[in-house]
Amino acid sequence: MDLFNNLIFGFGVAFSLQNLMYCMIGVSVGTLIGVLPGIGPLATIAMLLPLTFNVAPVGALIMLAGIYYGAQYGGSTTAILVNLPGETSAVVTCIDGHQMARQGRAGPALAIAAIGSFIAGTFGTLLIAVAGPPLAEMALKFGAPEYFSLMLMGLVAAAVLAQGDMIKSLAMVAMGLLLGIVGTDVNTGVQRFSFGITELSDGIGFIVVAVGVFAVGEIVANLGDPAERRFFTDKVKGLMPTWVDFKASIGPIIRGTAIGSFFGVLPGTGPAIASFSSYMVEKKIAKDPSRFGKGAIEGVAGPESANNADAQCKFIPMLTLGLPASGVMALMLGALTIQGIQPGPEVMTSRPELFWGLIASMWIGNALLVVLNLPMIGLWVKLLKVPYRLLFPAIMAFSAIGIYSVNNSSFEIYLTAIFGVIGFIWIKLGCSPAPMLLGFVLGPMMEEHLRRAMLMSKGNASVFFTRPISLGFIIATIAILAIIVLPAVRSRRSEIAG
Amino acid sequence: MQLEFRDNKDVWAGAMLIVTGTTAIVVASNYTFGTSLRMGPGYFPSVLGGLLILFGLYLVAVGLKRNEKIEGSWSLRALVVLPLSLVLFGLLMEHAGFVPALMVLIVGSALASSEFKLVEVLALAAGLTAFAVALFIYGLGLPYPLFAGW
Amino acid sequence: MPRMRSLLLTAAALLALTAPLAAQSDYPNRPVRLIIPFPPGGSNDVVGRMVATHLGEKLGKQMVVDNRGGAGGTVGTELVFNAPPDGYTLGVVSIAHAVNPWLYKLPYDPRKLAPVGLMATGTNVLVIHPSLPVRSVKELIALAKQKPGELQYASAGIGSFQHLGTELFKLEAGVNILHVPFRGGGPSMNDVLGGHTKIMMSSLVQTTPHIKSGRLIALATGGKKRSPILPDVPTVAEAGVPTYEALNWWGIVAPAGTPQAIIDKVNTALSQVQELPEVQKQFDLQGASVQKMTAADFGKFVLAEMSRWERVVKEAGITAQ
Repeated sequence: MDLFNNLIFGFGVAFSLQNLMYCMIGVSVGTLIGVLPGIGPLATIAMLLPLTFNVAPVGALIMLAGIYYGAQYGGSTTAILVNLPGETSAVVTCIDGHQMARQGRAGPALAIAAIGSFIAGTFGTLLIAVAGPPLAEMALKFGAPEYFSLMLMGLVAAAVLAQGDMIKSLAMVAMGLLLGIVGTDVNTGVQRFSFGITELSDGIGFIVVAVGVFAVGEIVANLGDPAERRFFTDKVKGLMPTWVDFKASIGPIIRGTAIGSFFGVLPGTGPAIASFSSYMVEKKIAKDPSRFGKGAIEGVAGPESANNADAQCKFIPMLTLGLPASGVMALMLGALTIQGIQPGPEVMTSRPELFWGLIASMWIGNALLVVLNLPMIGLWVKLLKVPYRLLFPAIMAFSAIGIYSVNNSSFEIYLTAIFGVIGFIWIKLGCSPAPMLLGFVLGPMMEEHLRRAMLMSKGNASVFFTRPISLGFIIATIAILAIIVLPAVRSRRSEIAG
Repeated sequence: MQLEFRDNKDVWAGAMLIVTGTTAIVVASNYTFGTSLRMGPGYFPSVLGGLLILFGLYLVAVGLKRNEKIEGSWSLRALVVLPLSLVLFGLLMEHAGFVPALMVLIVGSALASSEFKLVEVLALAAGLTAFAVALFIYGLGLPYPLFAGW
Repeated sequence: MPRMRSLLLTAAALLALTAPLAAQSDYPNRPVRLIIPFPPGGSNDVVGRMVATHLGEKLGKQMVVDNRGGAGGTVGTELVFNAPPDGYTLGVVSIAHAVNPWLYKLPYDPRKLAPVGLMATGTNVLVIHPSLPVRSVKELIALAKQKPGELQYASAGIGSFQHLGTELFKLEAGVNILHVPFRGGGPSMNDVLGGHTKIMMSSLVQTTPHIKSGRLIALATGGKKRSPILPDVPTVAEAGVPTYEALNWWGIVAPAGTPQAIIDKVNTALSQVQELPEVQKQFDLQGASVQKMTAADFGKFVLAEMSRWERVVKEAGITAQ
């Protein structure tokens, strides 16, 4: 049992007083910045990087990693409580998590998010230990055609996100795709829809759109509807999930973990895709999909597990191949390099204390996060007792500071104001913003991969069908289409027959 | 008939899509369209614009038939005051510093509520600002002057 | 009365004249802002922060790093350009600064920024995926000439060093290799490691681990001399393109009109920082090396880089807007 010995060794490293302390600092800072919108792990790690020069490599890495996955825990808190996505990956959690809070079930939502994240984190950690290298090799097989086919599948599945009106949802997806295009075209360097505004040349920030349409739009809607906003003060029911909640959540947690692990291994996918996918799966297989968007606990359990598994598995390409799967991972590689460690496949053998110590610490960190977060739930829920007239200015303040800090510029603030207005109008017109955000996330990536695939294949579209992985996704896409379209056709037939 | 049209949810949603789609196509006409095999930067936005127009037309048609009304009030006060206080925050961050910007934002957005009480809000603004200064400026080390030019 | 007024005015004018002098002698008496025109995490950020910490110590006042990313570094650099020339706003510039004038319509004149000093230079490596059947620059050129436009190289995006450094290579070697742009250095590296695109020119720090593990093959390095980290790898010039030389570099600039005394003070502090063994070690690990220059020499260096990349952008027909 090599693995077993290695893990024991790893825990030995991670349980040293010093490393436990770094782990603790990391996850605490992570939770804090996770709660704050806009301020994400990337900026925080970049700011803390110089401080780690004098820390031993293991400790430094343990702390930085803790910040990263700790942020995923924290991100869901404000999403559930006040519809404010603290982290990109928490956007999906807003949909049902916040509805649960409105029904006085913020406690169970927060608890299930923490428990799901812990299970996902544990699994992700194990996956790195057991199958890291082969998974990383698999991820390398993904080129532009594979990513495009995968995202096409995601986009088609997005129709499932539809709440009530499918056409409106699809239209919102298209709207999101369009918004995602704003900025410099990667393939040609042409500025699109930037109207000569320099700040738009890098596109519209995800957090700007998310905070604008979710948080600000929601506040405007609440203020217009005095009856609506009493929800916070009145009916807080139970802090912990009931047995029924647990039974409903266990499936979504397992599926979310699997989905998140899959996307986590692939470097070319962003943080929100895993949670969106999990949400769509849960909604599709639910007996009563209409509960979704109205406080279904599955809609919190699945996506929250998915985003934590995703965060955990993003370490696989970094640790086993020295590949930067995301900006944060690139920074971690930088941190290692500055410590005089050449990241790459040799790290596992040449610096086992680093590899196994980090893995063990990630499990400890996840456990710490649950221990930290569960008792906090009571406190968070008390926050909801603050009268809304005092709560919403505070939400505005934290949103504004967070968004300002993204680029240290006011431009994003102005954009947020605009999206707040737009988001409110959408709510009024019955267009839900969630599908729009999915389109916004997928759009630029899809176009980029499609055009890159065509560039590399010299305009030969058969590339999507001749590469086996890509072909697999295309077939799956057609299958999903059939599942979505067939029931509609059948019901129409029976209508005609009846 | 005209009154019904004015608060017809789907017609307005459709109209919004049509306007967005048309704008997208007009703007994208400045970019190279390319062909399906060699897509230029204008290809994707033009196709999307077309799709939006189609969706929009469909929604207008459905809306005229279904005639669903927009529910609830337009909360005009909040709709104007909240974005405005964000804009003020942005301006003050650039010219007056972190503390005045945040105070104005908090007091300003509190004005959006019909239950506004000045004393309470001022206390809230002072408390939150002090907390934010401690957390963001000293804790996280964000490089913003508390008061610019003072 | 009018006389009184003019007297006051004269006094005020005199005061105004002497004020900056006083300000200079005790510079810096408050924290100095260092604008890094890229988001946290990139090479500009890492180099800038590394130097900022020590530079603040040498100057006796904290140096606050302010990331203002956007539009290939032009958003942040414009901020430096428009800042008051009092030495309290400085900016990091990199090779992008010498490329941007030819790619974008800039809202400022990059030549007017006051040069302060060079921080470091970095070497790039021309790497290929092992599945490409060449093992030297000469073989690569031969293969590219045999199949013009069929080989493909990855870059971190239009106007990035990976793009321009390879375009320069194409010009000097007279070959046609198709450019496949990515959104940043990480994604392009992933693609090359997967063997989808097979050629890339990238920084030493990004490529070395993969060269050592055999996933990538180093054909040549881009500098004038061989890199101590890869001593067996020839320079591009040695390997068959004698006219080729291109380095990454990072320096500091100030707004036009910043008093020379302040610039000299920062430059002196910068050279002291560059002499610190720990700084040199950190740069070595990043595949870069500190290089000192007087402010005037750095100014000439920037102008020379600008004309070098102007030629590449124009001859390679690179466009952006």
